[in-house]
Amino acid sequence: MVTQLMPTPAGSALANLLEHPVVERTVDVVPLIMVLLSLTAAIAIFPLRDAQRGVRTTVNLLAAVAKVGLIAALVPAVVGEGLRPEFSMPFLPGIDLVLRADPMALFFGGLSALLWLLTTIYAIGYLRGTPHQSRFFGFFSLCVTATVGISFAGNLVTFLIFYEMLTLVTYPLVAHWGNPASLRAARIYLRYAMGGGLAVLIGVVWLTMYAGAVDFAEGGAEGVAELSERSPGVATVIFVLLICGLGVKAALFPLHGWLPHAMVAPAPVSALLHAVAVVKAGVFGIVRVIDDVYGISVADELGVLTPVLVVACFTIVYGSYQALRQNDLKKRLAYSTVSQVSYVVLGVTLVTELATTGGVVHLVHQGIMKITLFFCAGLFAEVVRVKAVDQMRGLGYRMPWASAAFTIAAFGMIGLPPTAGFISKWQLGQGAIASDHPWVLWVLIASSLLNAAYFLPVVYGMWFRDPPQDSESARQDSGAAQQGSSETRSVQVREPLMLAVPALCTAGFSVVVGLAAAVPFSPLSLAEYIAEGVFG
Amino acid sequence: MTPQTLFPDALVQFAIGGLVLLPLLAATLCVLLPHTPRRILGAFTALAVLVLSLPVVWQVSAGDVVQSALGGYDAPLGIRLRADGLSAAFLALTSVVGATTTLYAAAQPHSTGTRLLSGTGQVTASTGAVATGRGPQWEPSHAGFWPLWLGCWAGLNAVFLSGDLFNTYVGLELVGLTAVALVALGGRPSWAAALRYLFIAVAGSLLFLVGTGLIVAMTGTLDIEQASSTASDAGPADVLALTLISVGLALKLALVPLHRWLIPAHSGSPSAVSPLLSALVIKAALFVLLRCWLWLFDPDSTAAGLAWGLAGLGVLALVFGSIMALRQTHLKRLIAYSTVAQVGYWFLMLPLIVDPAAGNLEDQPGTELAPDDVVSGALAATVALALGHGLAKSALFLAAGYLKDVYGTDEIAALRGVGQRHPMLVMSMGLAAVGLVGLPISLSFTGKWKLATSAVAAGHYWILVVLIVATLLSAAYMLRVLAPLLIESEDDASEVPGPQVALSTYSRLAAYAPLLLGTLTIAAGLLGVWFEELLEVGAPW
Repeated sequence: MVTQLMPTPAGSALANLLEHPVVERTVDVVPLIMVLLSLTAAIAIFPLRDAQRGVRTTVNLLAAVAKVGLIAALVPAVVGEGLRPEFSMPFLPGIDLVLRADPMALFFGGLSALLWLLTTIYAIGYLRGTPHQSRFFGFFSLCVTATVGISFAGNLVTFLIFYEMLTLVTYPLVAHWGNPASLRAARIYLRYAMGGGLAVLIGVVWLTMYAGAVDFAEGGAEGVAELSERSPGVATVIFVLLICGLGVKAALFPLHGWLPHAMVAPAPVSALLHAVAVVKAGVFGIVRVIDDVYGISVADELGVLTPVLVVACFTIVYGSYQALRQNDLKKRLAYSTVSQVSYVVLGVTLVTELATTGGVVHLVHQGIMKITLFFCAGLFAEVVRVKAVDQMRGLGYRMPWASAAFTIAAFGMIGLPPTAGFISKWQLGQGAIASDHPWVLWVLIASSLLNAAYFLPVVYGMWFRDPPQDSESARQDSGAAQQGSSETRSVQVREPLMLAVPALCTAGFSVVVGLAAAVPFSPLSLAEYIAEGVFG
Repeated sequence: MTPQTLFPDALVQFAIGGLVLLPLLAATLCVLLPHTPRRILGAFTALAVLVLSLPVVWQVSAGDVVQSALGGYDAPLGIRLRADGLSAAFLALTSVVGATTTLYAAAQPHSTGTRLLSGTGQVTASTGAVATGRGPQWEPSHAGFWPLWLGCWAGLNAVFLSGDLFNTYVGLELVGLTAVALVALGGRPSWAAALRYLFIAVAGSLLFLVGTGLIVAMTGTLDIEQASSTASDAGPADVLALTLISVGLALKLALVPLHRWLIPAHSGSPSAVSPLLSALVIKAALFVLLRCWLWLFDPDSTAAGLAWGLAGLGVLALVFGSIMALRQTHLKRLIAYSTVAQVGYWFLMLPLIVDPAAGNLEDQPGTELAPDDVVSGALAATVALALGHGLAKSALFLAAGYLKDVYGTDEIAALRGVGQRHPMLVMSMGLAAVGLVGLPISLSFTGKWKLATSAVAAGHYWILVVLIVATLLSAAYMLRVLAPLLIESEDDASEVPGPQVALSTYSRLAAYAPLLLGTLTIAAGLLGVWFEELLEVGAPW
């Protein structure tokens, strides 16, 4: 059942190498090493004094680069050779802690490794000169540890452990600035996330009791299939518990309330939260539950997918509508996340291979595009103190690079070709037509129109309108400089490299990923491989 | 090398005796020594006890019940030491927490209490300082800590290793009296608390003694093994004895509504004492309670009323203790109330023991549980919760005591933002909080998982509800402690408070003690399987 994505001569040499027993055992430990790598980074960073900037930066970057390298090394082995490196240790009687590198794990782990590297660079630049950096980067590394753990978790209990860990370690990041607004946001976040975590916990305990330890398996776990045949009622209730619990982090309506508050966090945290860590962990969990725990056919027979689909559709439209109403840029982006993330849920609940491909690939595509938008929002806020949408007019002249990145990502969000967003929407649209619910296509169209409605005016204003006249900075310009003031306002500002480069990188990725969608090991081809596995 | 041959039998025999006698000997020696040598002797004794407990725990985990008849006299006449799985688990906890705290106290004599220097110009032994002319003065550090704590340690080990009820009583009495004296080391404010504790400890021991007397009258022996084999059907006298023992131990465990003595005693005692009281001393009572319910008696439906009553109080303790913890403004009082709450967990298992019908999951192939599995699961859960609590609470109290010593107060509002200056300390508190709340991967999580499994298997769904509510409440009060320490408000005019004592007088190493315990809280969660197997050694089923 191993499908060879790339049968090349190099591939067979690799196969021989991988069959060597020593190599085999080493490969098994790689998922554990990935988790320990970030954990070690965190432990190394916490005791550092704030002034030890060099050491901290080195540790951060070394760990991040090492992780990207490890993931890159794993991809050919897992996808090309069909290996499933697995590390397990006993945890509770009958239950093991399992870290396994399957395609889905690599897919999500790769996203987090790559974006962690970029976000680390961005965060180093963003936080330069502010206090409590060791605390920040320590928890930042713990956050990534949890994300890696979530992606490589091989069964529900392991997943749950890292999922709860993620809740806890994100709290200090959201509360980082320490002002009342961020403390309040962090409290709200924690309440939502703990409640959700508890629902997941109950679901997992219940399922484990009734169906044994649930290992993630392509096409669903056997015990769960038996359980849903024997007592569909219980299986349904457990499903609802799991989805509701995961839906909190995934910001499904009506559980999304914490997300718009959490945007008071520092920009790199928002970027990470929306693109890789928290929101994505929730959605990733939903994908795992539907595809790898219940199995799509079992879930379909239970009849639980259509309600989730309807909720996802509603969330898409509702999030877009709310985004349209926000004037604060980060809030608008937050509601946009609420909407965009539900595409993934929509994709996996449509029960067609095309739609599943679209949903899974959107995990990565949305991550790349949304992180770009948040990088840019942070740049605007830091460099020219622009935080509201109506102040963004004319920004294109002052910060051309950031504005360009923002524009590309916004186009991606709308789904214009040749960006990554187009690929997702194309797949989803095709999947919708092929499915039992062709009306979903209208949801996609409506949402694209709404996306355009809340992004295009911003982009238009950035490039084709004059800067706002009544802003405070303009008023402060004294009468003597009156003549030059209109000029200074449109003069180009120096964009800090450490902030601008990551934004440009991710913007570039979102185009490259769209253009090169058909290339082997592109996100789309990986997603297709995963979807094939899901549908067996 | 197989586990059996790793330690020769003679060594194990020596170790099991040494665990009780060595601290007792060291306590006696301490009385003769001035303060600084006491610290050195104490530290070495701690390490020696830690080393001695290794062969015993190892041997038990290899599947043997270790027995030793002191002086060669066997039961029922002689003193018999006996270590089974339950003993080994509690022994391991005591050795780890005891040794860590002892080393902390040795490195940090400030934490051992306050002593009164009379104003008559008396030269104190430890510092040689002369306090003249200004009347009596309170000075930090108290040399009395050492003999008292080492004596207490001997008592704890005696309780855990005792094979008969009378030795258990003597051990409990030793633990209780030394604990009272340890509380009194806190200085004048602690004396009232210590006195109250004394009454409770003595009353609890008396009730236990009366219960023991009843058992002797019925069975004619004090040896736990022999008594349990002679006891036939549970009659009213059995239930009466069990009730007396349970109430006496509940007093010592501070089960709501008998909890009021615990708050001033645990929160007012010196920094090195609170962790010991909370992590170890009340565990002695719990240990005896488990021994009596599971080994000595075979409680069936006749004791159902008692079991349900105690479990009901346990639920009350969880809710009431957590709510009271939420309302506290002082760190150590909050942690003390959290102990009151957590005690409730250990009583939830009693209804499971008296009615272990496991029919509930029969048609579910995923889990197969026999009635014995329910009982053993419930016991494993309770012990895991108790051990997890011991590790987490000792870390929390050590950290809180450190802060109180350094800043002169443990008011949470006044300590806001100290995490900036003591990242390791707040980190260890965070780890302990994870353990206390019972989030994965900690030992308490293992305990809650097992308790939930056993509860569902026996059809006691109410336990699930209790677990959920208690978890949420504990998360709420731990957050109330940690959030202000970790993050200060920036627009707050008040500065982060400065230390009252020069930080340089505080050894950097001492801050690693809570970190070690906090890390262990989490790491021990990985030992869940080993731990369940350990408890099976010498189990009554």
